[in-house]
Amino acid sequence: MSLETDRRRFLELGAAGAAAVGTGLGTGPAVAPAAHAAPVTKVTKSVCHQCPARCGIDVYVTDGRVHAIYGTLDHPIANGKLCPKGHFGAYILYDPDRFRGPMRRTNPKKGRGEDPRFERISWNEALDIVAGRLDALRKKGEAHRFALLHGRGWGASDAGLLEPFGKLFGTPNATIGHSSICSDGSKKAKQALDGNYAYNAYDYENTNYLLIFGAAFLEAYRPFNHNMQVWGHIRTKAPKTRVTVVDVRVTTTGAAADHLLLVKPGTDGALALAIAHLLLSEGLWHRRFVGDFVDGRNRFVPGATVDPETFNERWTKGLVAWWNAEVKDRTPAWAAEITGVPEKRIRAIAREFGTTRPAMAIFERGPTTHTNGVYNGMAIHALNALVGAMYAEGGLMNQMSPPYAPLPWKVDDYMDDLAKAAAAKKMPRIDKVKTPDWPMASNMMQEIPVNHLEGDPYKLDTVMFYLTNPIFSAPDCTVWEKALAELFVIDTSPFPSETSWYADLVLPDHTYLERWQDTPTYPFQGWPMTGLRSPAVAPIHDTKAFGDTLIEIGKRIEGPMAEYYKNLGGVENVLRLIAKGFEKNPGDNGVDSFEKWVEKGVWYKKPYLWRQIDGEFYEWDGTDYIRPMTPTEVKARLFKTESGKFELKSSYLEHYADFIHEKLGIPEDRVGFPQWVPPRHQGVGDLFLVTPKTPIHGEGRTANLPHALSLYQPVAGGRNDTFLEMHPETARKRGIKNNDRVRITTPLGSIETRVRLYPAARPDVVVLPFGLGHWAHGRWARNTRTGNSSAIIPNVSDPISGLTANYSVLVTVEKA
Amino acid sequence: MTRWGMVIDLEKCTGCQACTTACQMENSRLPNENWQDVLFYNEGTYPSGKLTWLPRPCMHCEKPSCMAVCPTGATYKTADGVVLVDWDRCIGCKYCMIACPYGVRFYAEEKQKSRPDIREVFPDPEGEKVWSPPWRMPDHLQNNKIGVGIQPKNVVSKCTFCYHRISKAPPGTKDLDPSDPTLREFTPACVVTCAPGARYFGDLDDPTSEVRRLIAEKRGTRLLDHTGNRPQVYYLAGEQPAIPETRTVRRSRDGEA
Repeated sequence: MSLETDRRRFLELGAAGAAAVGTGLGTGPAVAPAAHAAPVTKVTKSVCHQCPARCGIDVYVTDGRVHAIYGTLDHPIANGKLCPKGHFGAYILYDPDRFRGPMRRTNPKKGRGEDPRFERISWNEALDIVAGRLDALRKKGEAHRFALLHGRGWGASDAGLLEPFGKLFGTPNATIGHSSICSDGSKKAKQALDGNYAYNAYDYENTNYLLIFGAAFLEAYRPFNHNMQVWGHIRTKAPKTRVTVVDVRVTTTGAAADHLLLVKPGTDGALALAIAHLLLSEGLWHRRFVGDFVDGRNRFVPGATVDPETFNERWTKGLVAWWNAEVKDRTPAWAAEITGVPEKRIRAIAREFGTTRPAMAIFERGPTTHTNGVYNGMAIHALNALVGAMYAEGGLMNQMSPPYAPLPWKVDDYMDDLAKAAAAKKMPRIDKVKTPDWPMASNMMQEIPVNHLEGDPYKLDTVMFYLTNPIFSAPDCTVWEKALAELFVIDTSPFPSETSWYADLVLPDHTYLERWQDTPTYPFQGWPMTGLRSPAVAPIHDTKAFGDTLIEIGKRIEGPMAEYYKNLGGVENVLRLIAKGFEKNPGDNGVDSFEKWVEKGVWYKKPYLWRQIDGEFYEWDGTDYIRPMTPTEVKARLFKTESGKFELKSSYLEHYADFIHEKLGIPEDRVGFPQWVPPRHQGVGDLFLVTPKTPIHGEGRTANLPHALSLYQPVAGGRNDTFLEMHPETARKRGIKNNDRVRITTPLGSIETRVRLYPAARPDVVVLPFGLGHWAHGRWARNTRTGNSSAIIPNVSDPISGLTANYSVLVTVEKA
Repeated sequence: MTRWGMVIDLEKCTGCQACTTACQMENSRLPNENWQDVLFYNEGTYPSGKLTWLPRPCMHCEKPSCMAVCPTGATYKTADGVVLVDWDRCIGCKYCMIACPYGVRFYAEEKQKSRPDIREVFPDPEGEKVWSPPWRMPDHLQNNKIGVGIQPKNVVSKCTFCYHRISKAPPGTKDLDPSDPTLREFTPACVVTCAPGARYFGDLDDPTSEVRRLIAEKRGTRLLDHTGNRPQVYYLAGEQPAIPETRTVRRSRDGEA
């Protein structure tokens, strides 16, 4: 890239900003004249990469150096703000341990103790090696033995390229994401009840009650930055939004809230059912949304069944059946036994929640990373129906997609006989999703090494990684070392990750400040939005954007597939093509072309098109939510269940009744109900190990930043160090004192760390942040003196969602 | 004359540390050199433990005790009310660090707690400054006289209220509101980035400023006011009664405003 073209990609700073940085209007006293002439500072609009939230950022470049990153003022998520991680970008860019270019392994032996002895090679050489290997597999009819595993996918320019690649190449394994070690449980719970396999969008600004189960709203729940903006608003508006947090540990969210209920891990669903019980038995449900008894008299009497004929249901389905089968017995007294929260507190919280409108219940990994995760999630999500929050002002929505133009080439037209033969074989995916093992899961990345080692359904040959490092982050992660030792491994991380240590080839990606990438929003406020990363600086090393690497590989595969990728050209071209969709759909900020997208950094168009108002659904007519929707339209747009209603008796789950019965022991006629299912805890021991994400954790990208590590766990005093938070009485019984080094053990093995006595902790829960204990990834990452919790977390998952049961791990802790 | 001051609304603050990381980024700070720190306090026992936090910049006192003890006059107060260190005059004696009641002064020659020492990874080629990372503040903004940029070795450093930014604000500015695109670039980094909007920055001498309104309406209070330092950073502690601590403001000069 020439300096000229590079310059053209930058955006000039606006007039006010240029004055500020360039000319120095200042008249402040005591300012000595600057020693140097002021150069021009250029600001590039981009999108943060430290979490999935997609905050728009202004990247400041002076003297060719990135020296500052601030939130973009006219970006709907960022609004000029950032979370603590957003400011780390320059440290990531200039990480001294990054790969300088493509690398080939010269040491044939693989292991933690085996230096890969990488040698630099050219991109041409590297890409030819990959293409040669893949071509050979393809010609043998073994295309399925190539797998491409990805983590944080962003949009059409990276994750969106994977499905066509798999189809053209002939492997079912090109689209295996990390969602099963992330948050699939909440999506599955929502699919079961409202038919949308998706995270929700939320109207937090207008809610008056937030009931939060195991989602660290002010620490990690996305979009973290905007959540905090919301917090500043809802906690100072009139009326002040009431917030109750249910968690297993003391969080800043819980501390900032009105109430923090510390429950026993995996029991959130029991608490939610008791709240539902009270909402119904005390007549606090939303009658216009849910329906009412024919004569208006409440027959939801604790312990007593109700005649379904006496109730006229509106937008829910199965309420009375659910009450009779489950809720009638789920009293606050019952839940108190299970959760450890006193009955009186449960009643008080339930009444608060039930008498404040609008109200909503949100949840994420806390309740769902257990074997009963989907049922916990369903119990919580059911509350949103009972209080009428679905699609209401101050409630929940679903996210709309941006109007990208389709690419002008049909993938099917470029499938050769080998691709068609591979498709006809219908090989199962290596992770066995959509097989009798995991009929409902969408990804099962954590199963791959075991399946490969056992050759069931087959052995892989070559595996490529993009933005994921499961050899460090998956449950029972060390089994990946065995699998990767016998596979041809291609890593694309810019950093010397654990995966790269086992890699045969490293094709390093740019960091986010150096690359083009589209970023359609994670569920936010429902209306469509998509941001754009433009390079703020030319790549500082000989790296290549992953999307371009994939396209370049495609160009080198024999047959029509190469033509497809020659047409695509490269990532920038793909972005130019999809942006044509904005010509007919200009964004609210005037973005109607690729160039304007670059200039503004984001395309968006408000409002969300649908709203439920007091039990009736309306569509936006251009000025207001005023056009009534028919039940058919509601089913097509919103409640995508078989009934077109919010199903309190899930027809989706009932299709898998025999599987659920076999795996969880639930009678087949009951599988559809949100219900209490005791979690099956993994490991052996008397303490729950909980491994949360802290506000500073920017996934693998911040693992090697001393600035980040020095601020990792401040709540418990973790400065430059991390601790296992433990109740003093729990420690005393084990002869453990503050700052003692301890060993945490499960059947998989032990890790060590230091203890911080934390009197506010539940005595049966110990807390150790995840993301630590790297044995590669750079000089600071390797030096955290705390073990990696993933190494001792057994690989057990919720059979329904496939989500790893990471927060259900029992451990023993002893002095090291 | 403008007298800059900051108001921090603890009811809005989420303890996220973005103020800390924005400050580190803007001012090229070392790890742990948290000019703008957030302190966390744990009290009580399960199930009624209490976790609280306090973001803590330099208080830019009206009567700074750090200045009083400085033997070389390196620490000084600007006409617009900001306490700065002239690094060309500082001899690194650290008296100011002892005299400061708020613990907001830093000396970078202490052993780096992050290992390996990042100063050795990014050394200053000329050997004068403490370090020289690739993301350092643009050269034209660095200025020893106001203690902005990367400090020479053996001096004390501290929060400057981002003096390289605020000193360029148009004269007569009442409040530096980062949501105003014409004022954003002059606003301190921590105020710009604060997501819940817990930070306000403006002229304490202007009774019509937003910071003055907040101090009056939401009972702004200052830390350790009995020391007589009279901080120019005020905290809003939420809906609380007038316990003595929150009333101290009325005994000071500002209470009359």
